[in-house]
Amino acid sequence: MNRSLSEYLPFGKAPTVILITTLLATVYLVVNPVATPDSTLRLWTFARNHYLAYVEGTPAFEAAHPGTRLEIQLVHGDAVSRRLRAAFWADLDVPDLVEVGIDRAASFFRGPVDDVGFIDLTPYLESSGFGERIVETRLAPYRNRGRIFGIPHDVHPVMLAYRRDIFEAEGIDPTQLQTWDDFIEVGRRLTVPGQRYMIELNDAKADEFNVFLYQRGGGLFDADGNLTMDSDIALETLVWFTPLAAGPTRIGASLGSTKILTQAIETGYFVTLLCPDWRTKLLEIDVPRMEGRMALMPLPAFEPGGRRTSVRGGTMLGITKATADKDLAWAVAEHMYLDSEELAARFRETNILPPLRDAWLLPAFLEPRPYWSNQPLGKLYADVADDTPPWYTSPFVEKAVEKMGQVVAACGAYYRENGDAGLRDFARTRLGAAADEVRRHVERNPF
Amino acid sequence: MRAGELKSAVFRLQHRYAPYVFVAPFVLVFFIFMLYPLVNSLILAFYVTSGPKSQVFVGFANFVFLLQDPDFHTAIHNTVIYASCSVFLQLPLSLGLAMLLNQARLRGRNFFRLGFFSPNLVGQVFVAVLFSVIFIPKFGLLNRVLHALFEIPIDTKWLGSPELVMPALVLTSLWMYVGFNMIYFLAALQTIDVQLYEAADVDGASPWQKFLHVTVPGIRPVAVFVIVLSTIGSFQLFELPYVMLESTAGPDNAGLTIVMYLYQNGWILGDLGFASAIGWMLTLGVFVISLVQMGLTGSWKTDA
Repeated sequence: MNRSLSEYLPFGKAPTVILITTLLATVYLVVNPVATPDSTLRLWTFARNHYLAYVEGTPAFEAAHPGTRLEIQLVHGDAVSRRLRAAFWADLDVPDLVEVGIDRAASFFRGPVDDVGFIDLTPYLESSGFGERIVETRLAPYRNRGRIFGIPHDVHPVMLAYRRDIFEAEGIDPTQLQTWDDFIEVGRRLTVPGQRYMIELNDAKADEFNVFLYQRGGGLFDADGNLTMDSDIALETLVWFTPLAAGPTRIGASLGSTKILTQAIETGYFVTLLCPDWRTKLLEIDVPRMEGRMALMPLPAFEPGGRRTSVRGGTMLGITKATADKDLAWAVAEHMYLDSEELAARFRETNILPPLRDAWLLPAFLEPRPYWSNQPLGKLYADVADDTPPWYTSPFVEKAVEKMGQVVAACGAYYRENGDAGLRDFARTRLGAAADEVRRHVERNPF
Repeated sequence: MRAGELKSAVFRLQHRYAPYVFVAPFVLVFFIFMLYPLVNSLILAFYVTSGPKSQVFVGFANFVFLLQDPDFHTAIHNTVIYASCSVFLQLPLSLGLAMLLNQARLRGRNFFRLGFFSPNLVGQVFVAVLFSVIFIPKFGLLNRVLHALFEIPIDTKWLGSPELVMPALVLTSLWMYVGFNMIYFLAALQTIDVQLYEAADVDGASPWQKFLHVTVPGIRPVAVFVIVLSTIGSFQLFELPYVMLESTAGPDNAGLTIVMYLYQNGWILGDLGFASAIGWMLTLGVFVISLVQMGLTGSWKTDA
């Protein structure tokens, strides 16, 4: 019998080949599912320097816990909270431990408290005694409805980084810059529009504005989670800040991007920068040619004898409910966050001051740093750390940060157009409107 | 059973079921990944949510809140401006370029066609990163050129001033999409019968009359398609501002688009119910605008 294959394939060979290929591919995928990680625990972090430090600390942890394999995963900053949220929602691929930025953490505490994806760490903090050793104000952002969902990675006090060589060439003594009035006076002399600015200030976002707001004792929320972004302190700070960052007589400028900060610092476009501890490491990496020409000083105060620091940024480590062994996950947290030797090693890697006061006396924190003109970087930050203002938060903190940024930008635009005339009224109106918008979001939350 | 009967039975069986087998993968994927989420999102739009476990039914409250939210108004305002620029600025430029590159006497036509189309080969994110560097104050290429030519302040903040953000976005999208739409128009122009132009010449028609009475009717179906597609694309704008404004809506929400507003509420505030309501409002809006556009351009008329 001489039958050709095509007689049995009325749609031709090509569709049949496609169908068979599809079926084979499906069978292959079914019998070869995505490999599950062989690690016992997984920790997500969004900061590269944290990641490198934890990778270095992992062998010691694994040696202390035989049979355990700890996997550290670096997830991009923007992605970590989105992926974590999706993972919580889908109950899939949830890491055992995760670091979340201070400005995003509280958004995970929205909803019924029992549905929060993190475990309450209060019992662990109490039984280990660490709760008393950690700077109390740094636990505040991670406390919600009587539970503590994260332990702080840092304190993040803010100092002023300055080009020491420019200061010396211009005959400026940093110890004489006691108040912002002193600073502004010098800034007017040093600033050359379009060529050189006394300080990096962004009039389109609230990043730097918030530093001043917190230094003054203000904030976006109070300790009870009530919105305070339209307080008198906020208004006064806004009216003070706007002419410094916008308009023809400004002493601050921003490139609106971190992409070419290296060039801006090397060319002296910015003479000073608001510099939380984490930023010192970034400068060391991104602007290496400035070694020995940079130095740090406390922030000038708003009034003589006033607070000489502020706060910017922060990270919490949380243990998710998905973890199979909560005690083992806590052991990771203890090892990475609360072990003195690890903290000393970590500080050399990251320049980030840990929230454990007793660690600040370790030799690593007293070492002179060549990049910073041989200043003892750790000690400088530790000296102001106890004065670091609290950073209170709410599940709606991202909305508040965004709204405050809009107010800052609007005031900048207004000032460029109209100058001082009516600025206070405009700022008050915009602050009030922004706060009302945030409150409307808060009020519609039924949880 | 004889061999002939067997062959016939197999053939009949295949003929009957093969279409279903071929269509099945698409239908399955469509139901699981399109229809089910679509229906689910419509249901979700009536809830305030905090993840799938925490949901509270609120009826039409999400839609009421949405319509009263100043941020939504800003998002609509920005998106409409962007969409208008797409239709009234981008498409005429695309058509102009297409007509230029359709000239037989132009040398190096293929080179120019490739050149104008090439921004599309790299994708929105790449373009956004590229332009965010070009727009940097003081050190960016654009400011340096403008400062040298027109003495515009070298530290002009294109992405940091509320009034300049939208022009910057439009400029970027022009660079990216003018060449892309040009290809459609070019294809349409090449389908117009040359004899029509010759006849118009014989009748003594001016270039403008030829454009109006020969070119425009000739490219009308493609033009309507491009207009509708550009409008829908503009209303879905997200990647460009998201990357160029570093995951924010820009100074004073100047770069906030409807999709970005949806993203913020769904993924930053974590309320998928409200985000679904925004999505459905967007769908409705785009649907209505497309219908209006097609009505205005005469797409509903059937040729006699």
